Amino acid sequence: MYLMKKNDVKKIAKALEEKYTLYGPYVDEAFGQCFFDKVTADNVDLNASIPTNPPKHVVFPHLETIMQYKYDKTTKKADIAMVFDDTPKALFGLRSCDLTGLQCIDRFFLGQEFVDEVYRHHRSRMFIVANTCVVPFKQCFCVCTDSGPAAQEGYDLNLTNLGDSYLLEVGSEKGKAFIESFGFAKATEEHLKQKQKLVEKSITMFEDIATESKAWVSRVMNRVTTGFIKEEVWEYIGNQCIECGACSYVCPSCTCFNINDANTIAGNTERVRTWDSCSYEGYSRMAGGHNPRKPIEDRRNKRFFCKLSYSQSKKYLRPGCVGCGRCAWVCPGDIGLPNVVTYIRREIHE
Amino acid sequence: MSEQKIVTVPEIATIEEIKDEIVDVKTFYLRFDNKEIDGNFKFKSGQFIMCTVFGAGEFAVSLPPSPENDRFHITVRRIGKVTNALHDLQVGDKVGIRGPFGNGFPFEEIKGKNVIYVAGGIGLIPLRSSIVHVLQHRNEFGRILLLYGSRSPQDLMYQYMLDEWQKIEGFETFITVDNGTPEWKGNVGIITTLFDKVEIPVENTVAFVCGPPVMFNAVIKELMQRGIKDDMIISTLERHMKCGVGKCQHCAIGRTLVCTDGPVYTYRQIKTLGEQI
Repeated sequence: MYLMKKNDVKKIAKALEEKYTLYGPYVDEAFGQCFFDKVTADNVDLNASIPTNPPKHVVFPHLETIMQYKYDKTTKKADIAMVFDDTPKALFGLRSCDLTGLQCIDRFFLGQEFVDEVYRHHRSRMFIVANTCVVPFKQCFCVCTDSGPAAQEGYDLNLTNLGDSYLLEVGSEKGKAFIESFGFAKATEEHLKQKQKLVEKSITMFEDIATESKAWVSRVMNRVTTGFIKEEVWEYIGNQCIECGACSYVCPSCTCFNINDANTIAGNTERVRTWDSCSYEGYSRMAGGHNPRKPIEDRRNKRFFCKLSYSQSKKYLRPGCVGCGRCAWVCPGDIGLPNVVTYIRREIHE
Repeated sequence: MSEQKIVTVPEIATIEEIKDEIVDVKTFYLRFDNKEIDGNFKFKSGQFIMCTVFGAGEFAVSLPPSPENDRFHITVRRIGKVTNALHDLQVGDKVGIRGPFGNGFPFEEIKGKNVIYVAGGIGLIPLRSSIVHVLQHRNEFGRILLLYGSRSPQDLMYQYMLDEWQKIEGFETFITVDNGTPEWKGNVGIITTLFDKVEIPVENTVAFVCGPPVMFNAVIKELMQRGIKDDMIISTLERHMKCGVGKCQHCAIGRTLVCTDGPVYTYRQIKTLGEQI
């Protein structure tokens, strides 16, 4: 545990930049919005609001070549090679919801029967600096999904803005080795208490912004898992979906992907993995045209099943939803996760 | 038995022989180029593989050969982009194979039982593995029946095998077609019409059902009416698959994934999944 001055944050970013490709939140001047992407130590902005996009594209790019092959039709020879990206990457100023989302993806890709090698390489040399949310944002509800406002684990370093200085907590051996050379002043128990006070205050602020429905996540999880939800509710939700797939795009824990073979001008073929969304009609359509999930409500309820059921939680070891609220933010149909929780809650009441 | 599983990089296999089955359906006999894998490619009946057609893509396909003493092959209908490309290949061309994936048919649990196979159209392809396997162990089972229906006599899969099977003593085969031809001497009518003509064992019986969804639902109804329990009805499901290892999530049905938890399900499981077949 260390204490550092506010402008020392840049020092850490600079040092990380030398060893790693630096990713972090920055405010785009043209849009005035905050994004999470490649940054320099100069434009990374820890005080910016929650980024519009989660950091999942760093470990799971939108479009990624996972395999390359060349097949010679005359000699009938095929050369196949996997493509891995293990460049060292640093995630700087990660909010706790996004960090939790990253942990969900970790457990999903690495923790089951088959390990996703492409993902493992992305993740193998990563440095994570988390950032405690001392003030929640307007769409946040991480307190309801047990993923914030302060990160509990999974980081190398964790920063907390104490007002006039930053509290720096070390979460791993790698983080410890990295920070030792800076010679920051040691923080005391007093500072930790100060952080806890700030976090508690932050949680009370959620009560002002979060409607009571958001606190129903666990009750709704029970309902979704046992299937005690009327068809009409799913139909009502399905009717509002326009199949844009934006919710999956901005979700920190959505990882469905599609695989396509793309032929290049050079004569070889790239096996490309792209993001996909379960809201699209073509998602489950088979070659013959049979689609077991044709009605939109069947597809909608699948997404919420993925976020809010015990069976799916077994893969993530926590709820699939991390409470970042981005789906509510982007949804044109008003069926972001908090609203779905509300609809189901109403049904339970009536 | 050490199991060789090809998960990431496809193993290259050569097409040794191509056999025309029915219109748009061909059987491809394959041999792995890698000598260590060839002959050692162990799988369970009911499992599936991912087959890469170079330059076109990858598709999931069931394994029709028996796990014991059978030539390695796949039977594929020309239906989409990748299967079209596969059908255009010649003997000597290469494909890539990953697998085997999935759970497979419960061979040990059904020992000593009567076995009914009910197949519709090309639904016979995934069941072929189990049928041949069970016939290889004929004395470990009770009665063995095959109820098979297709649209017309020209659409009957594995015609040469059907002829052979009909000669096997103790293997009761019943074939029907929806639309007969003047030459067709057998039964005409959809598959459920066979149920009234065949004496179906109910006690100690397991039924394997595979076919298009409409046929599947009709057959399940018939079987249940006769008193065969839902956990004794076994089917193998098909889904849009991309990775084969439970990551892409395209094949999700309810809480399960067809590629890792399936493709073989009992009807009792299918009922609880809460999705269409």
